[in-house]
Amino acid sequence: MNATSSSADMAAPPSSRVRKKSWKDVALANGSVVSIALFFVAVCAVFSLITGSFLTTPNLLNIVRQSAPLLIVAAAMTFVITTGGIDLSVGSVLALAATLSAVLLQAGLPWPLVVVAMLALGAAIGALQGFFIAYERIPAFIVTLAGLSVIRGVALLITGGYSIPVEPTSLFVSIGRAWFLGVPVPALLALAVLMVAYLAFNQTPFGRYVTGIGANTEAVRRAGVDTRFMTLFVYILSGMAAASAGIILAARLGSGSSNSGQGFELDVIAAVVLGGTSLFGGRGTIIGTVLGALTVAVIGNGLILAHMSPFLTPIVTGTIILIAIWLNFRLFKGAVRSR
Amino acid sequence: MMSDGETYRVRMTGISKRYGPIQTLDEVALHLKPGEVLGLVGDNGAGKSTLSKVLSGAVISDSGTIEIDGKAVSFSSPADARAARVEMVYQDLSLCDTVDVAGNLFLGREPRRSVLGVPFLDNRRMHDETRAMLDRLGIVIADTRLKVENLSGGQRQSIAIGRAASFDPSVLIMDEPTAALAVAEVEAVLELIRTVSARGVSVILITHRLQDLFLVCDRIQVMYEGRNVAERRIGETSIEEVVNLIVGRKFNARSARASRDEAVQP
Repeated sequence: MNATSSSADMAAPPSSRVRKKSWKDVALANGSVVSIALFFVAVCAVFSLITGSFLTTPNLLNIVRQSAPLLIVAAAMTFVITTGGIDLSVGSVLALAATLSAVLLQAGLPWPLVVVAMLALGAAIGALQGFFIAYERIPAFIVTLAGLSVIRGVALLITGGYSIPVEPTSLFVSIGRAWFLGVPVPALLALAVLMVAYLAFNQTPFGRYVTGIGANTEAVRRAGVDTRFMTLFVYILSGMAAASAGIILAARLGSGSSNSGQGFELDVIAAVVLGGTSLFGGRGTIIGTVLGALTVAVIGNGLILAHMSPFLTPIVTGTIILIAIWLNFRLFKGAVRSR
Repeated sequence: MMSDGETYRVRMTGISKRYGPIQTLDEVALHLKPGEVLGLVGDNGAGKSTLSKVLSGAVISDSGTIEIDGKAVSFSSPADARAARVEMVYQDLSLCDTVDVAGNLFLGREPRRSVLGVPFLDNRRMHDETRAMLDRLGIVIADTRLKVENLSGGQRQSIAIGRAASFDPSVLIMDEPTAALAVAEVEAVLELIRTVSARGVSVILITHRLQDLFLVCDRIQVMYEGRNVAERRIGETSIEEVVNLIVGRKFNARSARASRDEAVQP
């Protein structure tokens, strides 16, 4: 901190010290979002040039349909990571929700009840993990790593490793397969979740406290906010988001597999971090997360369309993560006064 | 215990707190009248900050009672103390770096507007009121949308003080409020203390700058290793005496000229 300049800061009239914000200032202040936006546009441009079928309406709709689970969980994960936490269990919760919904449908439960039950299950898992993280102060990495293992194990135990089919005539599958107004239903669900997440993150006291907890938990606690419940609540959100992703996946594929969503948590974290949310907490952006998730999805889709090996996907994704974060650190460093 | 029938704003008695093997506070008492400014001094680790955190609800004492305006209270969180209109400026300022100026000022009591039953932040009102608040306190910050991490040390301190002073407290605790400030800013803080105490706010000022104490305080309470050791009205003491009280026996042992500090001996 610069104490010696403080008297000058205080004494100078504000007019001489503030110039009108130019587009450059705005870009620097939102450097992380700008850099992922540039990457997103660049990746789209490359695939549009090398494949004829990338930039077509059916393909673009296909991308948003397939990336709906990723978008939904990444939105919730943005809250978790902004508090300075992490949730590694989302892939396992997704698998458990997918298999259990198939099992319950086979047992004859009506589909709306199954959906509600799965969301409640996700919330309960999130609350349990959140309890250990927020009230017992066990690091989130450890709690959710245990959750990742246990929850996947439960899913495997229930199914014996087989995947459970869902009756294709059930209305349940329309959650993943139906189209509404020319847009796939999963994409609409993702859009609704993202809009709610954006408003909650930027325009509500809850979103403010999530950012505050990541920046300085003790300050928020001293301001009279129940920080432990707020922290627990973000894990309820990520549990519910992972469960709804599991429902959408099971509905789209017409079966619930206990092996689905392996490595899903890493894709989600990659999308959030690519978007510019800080793993140290206190800085998060939903817009960046959307762009990050879409970039991850476009890379996977484009490489297949370009008839390249699908095994290139993780290589390209990983490289882009590193370069994007490096650009954030180098190019846009001027936005924040370094301490 | 009441003096001339007047109710104390704050009366803490028998406050004890132990952290592991260390008895941080040992049967400490503190009382404060409406509009009174009390200087709380002592060496590092004497228990000043812990005592004030007990009063602000950030630390829960092992034993002891707190009365505010004659009513016994028990604070289990900072929210309880805030509800009783006890505000504190913490030594580490307690600001969220990545939240803007207005957000920090209103942290925990953001103006809200309800849309379809959902509470949203009323950003316009928050920024307007922040601007008015800063102007009233004479704090110069160009833009209330600046993130706190981009401000100077003095500006950050001003925000922390403004936050505590702006919400009509009845007790205002300031832990080292002038530590990072330039000369003009120290004057502004002292002036602020005089202003709020004239309005009837009781102030507890913790500081190592003894000259400040003599400018604003009515009374000084000295702590030493977790205990009260002395209390002086400001008109009846001097900087030399206060220094001797603060350093206590350590100082006596080395100096033979300990003529005026019999009071130190417990």
